[in-house]
Amino acid sequence: MNELFQDLVVQMLIGISTGLILALVASGLTLIFGIMDVVNFAHGELFMLGAYMGWVFFTMTGSFWLGLAAAALCVFVFGLIMQRSALRSLIGSDPLTTILATFGISLVLQTAAIWIWGPTVRRVGAAFTGHVAVFHLQFPVYRFLVAMLSLAIIGGLWLFMHRGRFGLWIRATTQDRQMALAMGIPVPLVHTVVFGIGAAMAATSGYLYAPILGVDPTMGVNNILRAFIIVVVGGMGNLWGSVLAAVFIGMLEALAVIWVSPALAVIFSFAALIVTLLVRPTGLFVAVPR
Amino acid sequence: MLKLQDVQAFYGKSHVLHGVSLDVEDGQVVGLLGRNGVGKSTTLKAIMGLVAVQSGSITFAGHDLHRQRPYRIPRLGIGYVPEDRRIFPQLTVLDNLRTGFDRRGAAARTEQLLEQAYGSFPRLKERQRQLAGTLSGGEQQMLAIARAMMLDPQIILLDEPTEGLMPRLVGQIREIIDVLRQASVSILLVEQNVPMTLAVSDRVYLMERGAIRHEAPASELSVDDDVIHKYLGV
Ligand SMILES: Nc1ncnc2c1ncn2[C@@H]1O[C@H](COP(=O)(O)OP(=O)(O)OP(=O)(O)O)[C@@H](O)[C@H]1O
Ligand SMILES: [Mg+2]
Repeated sequence: MNELFQDLVVQMLIGISTGLILALVASGLTLIFGIMDVVNFAHGELFMLGAYMGWVFFTMTGSFWLGLAAAALCVFVFGLIMQRSALRSLIGSDPLTTILATFGISLVLQTAAIWIWGPTVRRVGAAFTGHVAVFHLQFPVYRFLVAMLSLAIIGGLWLFMHRGRFGLWIRATTQDRQMALAMGIPVPLVHTVVFGIGAAMAATSGYLYAPILGVDPTMGVNNILRAFIIVVVGGMGNLWGSVLAAVFIGMLEALAVIWVSPALAVIFSFAALIVTLLVRPTGLFVAVPR
Repeated sequence: MLKLQDVQAFYGKSHVLHGVSLDVEDGQVVGLLGRNGVGKSTTLKAIMGLVAVQSGSITFAGHDLHRQRPYRIPRLGIGYVPEDRRIFPQLTVLDNLRTGFDRRGAAARTEQLLEQAYGSFPRLKERQRQLAGTLSGGEQQMLAIARAMMLDPQIILLDEPTEGLMPRLVGQIREIIDVLRQASVSILLVEQNVPMTLAVSDRVYLMERGAIRHEAPASELSVDDDVIHKYLGV
């Protein structure tokens, strides 16, 4: 088999796994925007916080799964507190106020991380270090695991939203906030919990991504841009659009790397963003409204 | 049971309700009539806590609604059917109904209310798995009413339920109002359809420029009375 074909397959696998990790960040972002019209500029810092919290616990306990649970839980609680204290009273006002508030929080969190953990990049070892042979290349098992976990978490979110009472409240509130209130749905509580869920998803993603990226206080800012691109390409507030767009962007960049340097690959994401804004501003994967 | 006293309400800086006072007694159907833009819908939104009420009082069954958080108001037993229906378009018909009374530990009651709603609107049962946004306008109106009934309300606020409906469906809305009256559910009915309102109501209020100008038993009014012309004529 020719080498290009082999490269294509390997890069596609890498692209899908990266895409699914990004989907975790992006679906939290889009969920929060969809239900409370807040563009969360601190989302990258929740991702970063998850990486730190998870790896602190992982190093302490030696358990990958305890680290995962700790990342999700700590940042979930942090998200609840952040929404309740800083954002709840701003919901429904000028979008600029929530942008400034979340941007301010992102700066505070970055500075706090530098203060607590220092500015250096920490390398963290993957919990599962095996490889599988894909043609002539060794493909890390960890990437497979991470892709599967991301899918499972997104699937879990879907189930949560489609079974049971709270999920119904989330869907109703996303569609019509005032009418949800008029049906007795505790909208402020729904908002807070959804923010917590979005934060926990970002945290999980940060934790899973850490062995691939390394952990440092700027990992949030450095990676969140892609998540924002994904949210726009997928259609603001559209959960499945975001998941598809994440895999699409992940693959696009991974394939681009075959021909251009990794640093330039992000240009393809910008190209996808610009094309989306030009031809289908409501989202690339959204059915054309009839 | 429901009493508004001198309610003043604003949208941002624009003053829309200039002292609305009205009351609805137990089991009564009360009509609220007035030209376009006089503040009828805003009055209903003020009751539901959906617009900023500056002063005045709104009480329901001993509760001061003005001081309640908005989501607690429907839970006290007030159903709301807004003028543009506002069904949740991306939810199924069944899920739309479940937003109303899907409380913990109330499963049996929910089933009972659901039976009742489907009994009144068999059409909705046939379409319960369909997305509500794909229903016809008439069906959406039925859904909006059925959804409010799922709250097991003591009163329902109906905002122009017959708007845009063909005569047969207007007849059906009238029947529903009669069924609700028999179940001793009170109704505050905002309408443009004057003959229908006079026919189903016990009392009517006439509204102009953000305030109530006239009140009379429906039986004492007829479509071509002077007051009706004064406040509703074109
Ligand atoms: N969301 C809003 N923001 C600002 N002004 C509003 C808003 N909704 C209504 N208004 C204004 O408040 C006034 C009263 O509106 P309202 O909807 O209560 O009238 P209405 O009596 O229900 O009229 P209609 O018969 O046309 O439904 C109108 O002048 C309207 O323009
Ligand atoms: Mg109106």
